[in-house]
Amino acid sequence: MHMKSLATMAAALLLSAAPLAATAEELIVYHGWSSKAEVAALNILQAALNEKGHTWKDLAIPHNSGVNVSIVNMVTGGDPPNAFVTSDPHIFRDLAGLGLERDLTDYYKEIGAADNFFPIVQELSTVDGKMVKVPLFLHIDGMVYWNMDVAKKAGVDPTAWKSVDDMIADFPKVKAAGFVPAAVGGQAFQVGYLFHAMVAALAGPDIYDRIYSETPDPTAFDTPEVRKAIEVVRAFSNEATPESENRPWNETTNTVIAGQALFHIMGDWMKGEWLAAGKVPGVDFGCEVIPGALAVPVTSDAMGILGGQPAEKDKAELDLVAAFVDPIVSAKANQQKGSTSPRADAPTEFRDACNQVAMDAMNKPNGAVKNPFNVITGDWNNGIWTAMYNFWSDKNQTTDDAVAALKDAYDLTFN
Amino acid sequence: MSTGLLSGDARVEAAPRFPRKRKGISGRSIAILVFLSICAAFFCVPLYVIVTTSFKTMEQIREGAIFSLPSPITFEAWVNAWDHACSGIRCEGLKVGFWNSVAILFPSLMLSLTLSSITGYALALWKVRWAGTFLFILFICAFVPFQIIMIPLIILSSGLKVYGTIWGIAIIHAVLSMPFLTLVFRNYYKGIPQEIMSAAMMDSGSFWRVFGEIIVPMSGNIFIVVLILQVTSIWNDFLLGLTFGGLGTQPMSVVLANVVITTTGEAAYNENMAAALLTAIPPLVIYFILGKFFVQGITAGAIKG
Repeated sequence: MHMKSLATMAAALLLSAAPLAATAEELIVYHGWSSKAEVAALNILQAALNEKGHTWKDLAIPHNSGVNVSIVNMVTGGDPPNAFVTSDPHIFRDLAGLGLERDLTDYYKEIGAADNFFPIVQELSTVDGKMVKVPLFLHIDGMVYWNMDVAKKAGVDPTAWKSVDDMIADFPKVKAAGFVPAAVGGQAFQVGYLFHAMVAALAGPDIYDRIYSETPDPTAFDTPEVRKAIEVVRAFSNEATPESENRPWNETTNTVIAGQALFHIMGDWMKGEWLAAGKVPGVDFGCEVIPGALAVPVTSDAMGILGGQPAEKDKAELDLVAAFVDPIVSAKANQQKGSTSPRADAPTEFRDACNQVAMDAMNKPNGAVKNPFNVITGDWNNGIWTAMYNFWSDKNQTTDDAVAALKDAYDLTFN
Repeated sequence: MSTGLLSGDARVEAAPRFPRKRKGISGRSIAILVFLSICAAFFCVPLYVIVTTSFKTMEQIREGAIFSLPSPITFEAWVNAWDHACSGIRCEGLKVGFWNSVAILFPSLMLSLTLSSITGYALALWKVRWAGTFLFILFICAFVPFQIIMIPLIILSSGLKVYGTIWGIAIIHAVLSMPFLTLVFRNYYKGIPQEIMSAAMMDSGSFWRVFGEIIVPMSGNIFIVVLILQVTSIWNDFLLGLTFGGLGTQPMSVVLANVVITTTGEAAYNENMAAALLTAIPPLVIYFILGKFFVQGITAGAIKG
């Protein structure tokens, strides 16, 4: 009797212990984030993963462009990470072809996350009808961050701008006060981002989606709205100072922080520079979407999860997903990174003034479009960047020249 | 010996054709000085910016005057770069990468030096069948860019179960440097007089004994040349370390890139500059210590042809 009860107890213990022991897994988390704000956000995610009983094995690669290359290498080497940061749909398709894709559509429904993502996030997280991405951090690609002190000294009020034309009309006034109106960095990437932000703002989602598409429609470049966007890019290039040539976005933002320029249009990741300089949103600097914007382009920094794993690993990976998209964890992590939570139901106390602007923009029906990197191939993207950067650098090029160059880029890429 | 050569070859009447000016600064020497100063500035100005920036505070850097001297001078960026900079979630600074690089350096050096010196010795001093063909193939291999064979190498190293380990990186370094280094060793050993080899053959005739007891002691200079070349290339390598490094074996260059390169994060320029300088120090130290031998080794090879 005694022996028997002991045996049952042992068996019961074993049974209860077995699932516990089995669930503690080490997950390799692969990403390209090493700056202070990014690491602070990762620490929150790591803590959330640890709470689920799993450990985080970190693998960081420099820059997000390197991330895409190395993930391919690691899959080839037979040593892929469990969670990897990438937004490129082509990577997910490649993984699907290898049987390493993990479709999260049903799981998101199960944990009640699916409907709580912003609509644009749901779109951005879906590849070929399956939700395969874990959205982590949201950024708006083209926001206006201005130095409040400079605005006061120059006597302009950026909140009063109702359109891009209003904004440009204030340039002479700012210049007269001795400031650079628009800080710009002469790099293909910055010009490319300004262009797609302006296309979204001035031409709206329909025309934007005709250009930034897997199968683009080159006639979109002939529309008056896109021509207007090109003209705005010219207006900004006219403000380019000699030292802006090849100036990284960080340094460009810093000219605004240092009070030499009024504003910078860049992704709202520039908030990190402001915060690092000890500035407070809504006090030292203001933030708005591009005035009168019809739509804002949204970048969703997202992860993929490795499919084709043994049941226990798979369970652990799903725990990671649940931990990362949890509304509170997500809100806290995004607060650290300076981005906006992909969850519309994220608690409000972790937001600042700039998050509020971003969330309002994303809540606007049909007011958000996908960042090009989430949709188009690298070739098409480079084609657009090169055409626009040449236009930026050569003041003799007219709007017609730019339209022709964009069409040439289309022909080169697709024909 | 060299004077004998000169008097034999050069004719006396050659001298008046290039009359030497006694002294003074001519226009030509001014031009040369200016040219050399520009060349020196070309390298020194960026170095000046890097060094001064590393001692500045971020507040001063934000003002945007890159040529200004640091005021106040702070060593914080250096301490941060070595001890606290983040590479991913680990914020333990560059020292992690430094030790990884050291751990990669030694096996890579050993493997590549051993492999290429023995191959060079065999090709130069022994009658190897197809030696010419083999040398030709090696020579061709020296021109194959690594990027082309990267994916096959990943598959190979994964098959050998060394992908993502220090030995994986070491083997790849040894294999990729083999064509060039073998040619260097082979050319050096070709200059060893046949009499020495003949005597050695009579005494022992063993491939390994001749190599270990006669050839290696004679090749100090060339070993140092190759050592310097390899230390520099292994230390500065980024792509191999990134591709084959994997978890926890990322070399200093990759950690440096993690610290410095940012996609959407804020940039701490003072820390980045300090980090870059820290990473550049080890090969410089090797050059300073072994530089004399380096020149000796190169000229030794040159005379023997």
